[in-house]
Amino acid sequence: MALDIDRYHGVESIINQWDPRVKIAALGIFIISVALLKTIPMAVVAIVMAAVLIRLTALPFHFVSHGLSFVLVFLVPFFLVMPLSYPGAPAFTVLGLGFAWEGLRLATLIFIKALSIVLVTFAIFGSSRFDVSMLALQHLKCPKVVVQMLLFTYRYTFVFLDEMRRMHTSMRARGFVPRTNMRTMNIFGHFVGTLLIRSFERTERVYKAMLSKGYQGELHMLVTFQSHGSDYVKAIVALIVSVFLVAGDFSGKFPQAAQGWY
Amino acid sequence: MHISEGILSTPVWVAGYVGTAVLAGITMRKLDMEEVPKISVITSVFFIASLIKVPLGPASIHLILNGLVGVVLGWRAFAAIMLGIILQAIIFGHGGITVIGINSLMLGGGGLIAYMVWQQRHRFSFKKREFVFGALAGAVGTISSGIVLATALITTGEAFNAIAATVLAAHIPIMIIEAAVVGASAEFLHKTKPDILAGRKQPVTQG
Repeated sequence: MALDIDRYHGVESIINQWDPRVKIAALGIFIISVALLKTIPMAVVAIVMAAVLIRLTALPFHFVSHGLSFVLVFLVPFFLVMPLSYPGAPAFTVLGLGFAWEGLRLATLIFIKALSIVLVTFAIFGSSRFDVSMLALQHLKCPKVVVQMLLFTYRYTFVFLDEMRRMHTSMRARGFVPRTNMRTMNIFGHFVGTLLIRSFERTERVYKAMLSKGYQGELHMLVTFQSHGSDYVKAIVALIVSVFLVAGDFSGKFPQAAQGWY
Repeated sequence: MHISEGILSTPVWVAGYVGTAVLAGITMRKLDMEEVPKISVITSVFFIASLIKVPLGPASIHLILNGLVGVVLGWRAFAAIMLGIILQAIIFGHGGITVIGINSLMLGGGGLIAYMVWQQRHRFSFKKREFVFGALAGAVGTISSGIVLATALITTGEAFNAIAATVLAAHIPIMIIEAAVVGASAEFLHKTKPDILAGRKQPVTQG
């Protein structure tokens, strides 16, 4: 499983060269505008824009598609359940259940919106180093302590993941096969407990080492941000697209997604 | 279990952010510098442990463990779970950016309720006390999350009632597995490293 979202941050692209502070702010507004959409045509425009953005980011295709596969798993149930459970008169019946086109439309809208937002998220966090993104968040008035905990957590995640894999290997080497029974649950409980204790004791040592090196609750980084005219031009383009999406949605030209969706 | 992007109506996800901001503000008051690494450790373990698959008949489910975070971190559980949700949204696109609020509220709130249940153990004394209350905390953490999730779906629109019912039903087997795993974990931690657990009664020292 790939956890390093910033693996391809070094790929040269116009998004990669965008000042992270301006990038997060502008694309954040874009995400909110997508989340507000209620009509399918505008959602299609949004996903096309998101795809263009990903193209500009020059992230490798397999990297993005792998990330999207997780999201798809979550969204497929909606296609199955929504059309069959939509209130009101069904168009026809499948296996004794009423099938409503309105439900399918709602599921499609949800699907397109979710995919566009995830694509934009990839563009934001895939195009700069993780710590740089976090520092940019701090510049955008995200509380310092939250940013610091995110940085710690992200760093620890890889260490503990290795630890967990080692523990898992040794468990399998001793012949453990997970089954649906109380014994397995008990072993998993102990597994999580051990992982917790080992991780905890390791970080205690790390924390003491940090204190002895003068840590006083602040992380100093050698990153400085500079924004130029071109950064703001990109931001303005993103804002125009956002305004266009929301305006098109509210114009009433397209049918709104649903009754029963306030 | 969390809700994905694009499903909830705007008032619901905005309300999620407001609720999360309030709870985070309350539960993160007087945060000590020394607590920052501890919370981060638990967050990463919580984050990683959610990758563990537990077999359930022919299928398998992922552990949630928000109850265990409550058992270990007490009121600070909310912050830890919120951070885990933010990272998941950024790294996996699991959940998503606009639903960070409602997901934190759902799982973090479950963590807080689990801690309240866990604290009730002081009223009792029997041999398997830590296991029983750990299991209760795990079960309560899961099911309260399921209820928040179902409520969010129902308030979004009546078209989502069937999904809400399905989701709530799916939480019942998860709840049983969570209860077993969190109970075993709590008992194990109580035996091997009790000072890692939240809400212990400190013995009164004199002099």
